Amino acid sequence: MNKRPFLALFVTPAVLAALASAAALAAILQYAFRAYVPGSLDPGGFSLSNFEALLRPLYAQVFVQTVWICLLTAFITLVVAYPLAFALVRTRNVALKSFLLITAVTPLFLGEVVRTYSWIIVLGNTGFINSILMGLGLVERPVQMMFTTFGVVVALVHVTLPVMVIMLAAALSHIDVDYEKAATSLGAGPVKAFLTVTLPLSMPGVVAGVSTAFAWTFSAFATPQMIGGGRVSMISTLVYQLGFASFNFPFAAALSITGIALTFAVLAMAKQAIRPLEKIGAH
Amino acid sequence: MSSIPPDVASQTRPVGVQIDGVTKRFGDATALHEAWLKIGQGEFMTLLGPSGCGKTTLLNLIAGFLEADGGEIFVSGSLMTETPPYDREIGVVFQNYALFPHMSVAKNVGYGLRMRGVPKREIEQRVAEALALVKLAAFGDRKPRQLSGGQQQRVALARALVIRPKVLLLDEPFSALDKNLRGSMQVELKEIQRKLGVTTIFVTHDQSEALSMSDRIAVMSDGRIRQVGTPDEIYRRPLDPFVAAFVGDVNVLPARLERRLGDMATVALGEGRVQVRAETLDGLVPGAAVDLFVRPDAMRFADADGVLAGTVATHVYQGSHVDVLVDVPAARGGRVTVRVPGHEAPGRWPAGAHVSLDFAAGDAVAFASDAK
Repeated sequence: MNKRPFLALFVTPAVLAALASAAALAAILQYAFRAYVPGSLDPGGFSLSNFEALLRPLYAQVFVQTVWICLLTAFITLVVAYPLAFALVRTRNVALKSFLLITAVTPLFLGEVVRTYSWIIVLGNTGFINSILMGLGLVERPVQMMFTTFGVVVALVHVTLPVMVIMLAAALSHIDVDYEKAATSLGAGPVKAFLTVTLPLSMPGVVAGVSTAFAWTFSAFATPQMIGGGRVSMISTLVYQLGFASFNFPFAAALSITGIALTFAVLAMAKQAIRPLEKIGAH
Repeated sequence: MSSIPPDVASQTRPVGVQIDGVTKRFGDATALHEAWLKIGQGEFMTLLGPSGCGKTTLLNLIAGFLEADGGEIFVSGSLMTETPPYDREIGVVFQNYALFPHMSVAKNVGYGLRMRGVPKREIEQRVAEALALVKLAAFGDRKPRQLSGGQQQRVALARALVIRPKVLLLDEPFSALDKNLRGSMQVELKEIQRKLGVTTIFVTHDQSEALSMSDRIAVMSDGRIRQVGTPDEIYRRPLDPFVAAFVGDVNVLPARLERRLGDMATVALGEGRVQVRAETLDGLVPGAAVDLFVRPDAMRFADADGVLAGTVATHVYQGSHVDVLVDVPAARGGRVTVRVPGHEAPGRWPAGAHVSLDFAAGDAVAFASDAK
């Protein structure tokens, strides 16, 4: 008798979904190696010209900027999320715990578009922040935050925060409080105990959180599109412009494929770079 | 040092740890109720009690992991109230050892020295000494997860001792070990403690562990210290029915107080008369109901005219001794356990035999009966 009678049944949906996305990816992959025929929606014959075009400074710069925004977002999210996750895991106050959990996780339940729109209201020239600054007489003219990298990063941090908090909280909740007590009894003050014991032990969570935040941000579209307004280019917005404004599908496809490859490369490098951090305090 | 009898030692030694009326509450529950305790320098003191008795709370208060709601704690004469745990110079061995998993054994042991800014060369030397003390000299480069439970236990002990603590605290350190290993670790810990002469406070719920290792024992229940004394005092002269029942096995025999004369009292057990110490009978008048507590090893089979009569029910063979269970209608629970040397039980007192039981004067302790 089959030991897992329902295995095939349960696995089928996953297999179908995997096949569908593999097919889509294969289609994009073959588009990337076809020539662009101006004025036509159908691609031409085999060509490497799309990838050559990627090397042009204009596009290379978008890559660099995308990676920069992603790294910045991942890092700032980490710095904001760590204390939140720590408090969430360690507080014994049930009301505070619920409050932190709700604060950290509610953004997940709003769509990216809604969240981004709320940031437009906050960051705009007549928005929340500028109204206050000008009302207090701190600035004469509105501070430009919309259509800037700063604005995009702020909104992306908000979008990424819940995922980071959840991943860090999961990692921190597995660290026995006795480790900190042991460090303290051995003469480490709270800061030293944190730096030599808690932080290194939470590194797997940090690596997972930062990697996820990076990939999450890399694929973000609505936020850079709405807040960047075309003046802050990321790969996702560039793909959209090329594909649906210029109808240059082959080039958009080449850009997408390169973006995916780049994400994997950066994640692999990040993992390598962060490895020594896991040994903090062991010297 | 070990030649000084512990009870004398605790009076002649300077005080290592002093606990003055310490109280700790968690919400509405009082975990520790005005605990008073003096522990001599170099003394091995055990806090013994069932779970929830407040022993771990007291340990955490001494270590500084918890703040008391009242009372004061002194270590080597210094008031600890305002001293954070990292300045207390107290070594702690945790129940689960809490070895830092990301550091090697040597880094774990050297942690406290690095935090104190001890020069590197001295750290290496002291770590090597500490590892040699616990017989793990060759294991410095291993990670904790590569060690057995007993080895991890020794690393935890070395890590706590290497800082030359004023006090060593051990929180149920042997509970995760199997029985054989536990026995050998108990002997080893005791030897190391004697050798270093470090004041030690040991928390356990295991009464045999407490009896075998301690200079003195503080028996606790319900957040109160019930009795403090040497293992022998605790075992033979319990001041409280809880202590009598918790430490060692006990037979309970309902009886009646007949009269008191100075330090001694006479108790009527059926037709028999038993002499007991009067110290545990304060406030009782002749005629009051009392419970006589007699250890199984103090019970004896009498030839004919013992104070109790019963029928042998069964034998429980324990290797070195045999527990003979005797149905005695007069006893609490209707049954009495008699502990006899292993080689002579079943043949002499077969099941179903009618027997007469006795015990020596001074082997019984009487308390006011809690039965109505």
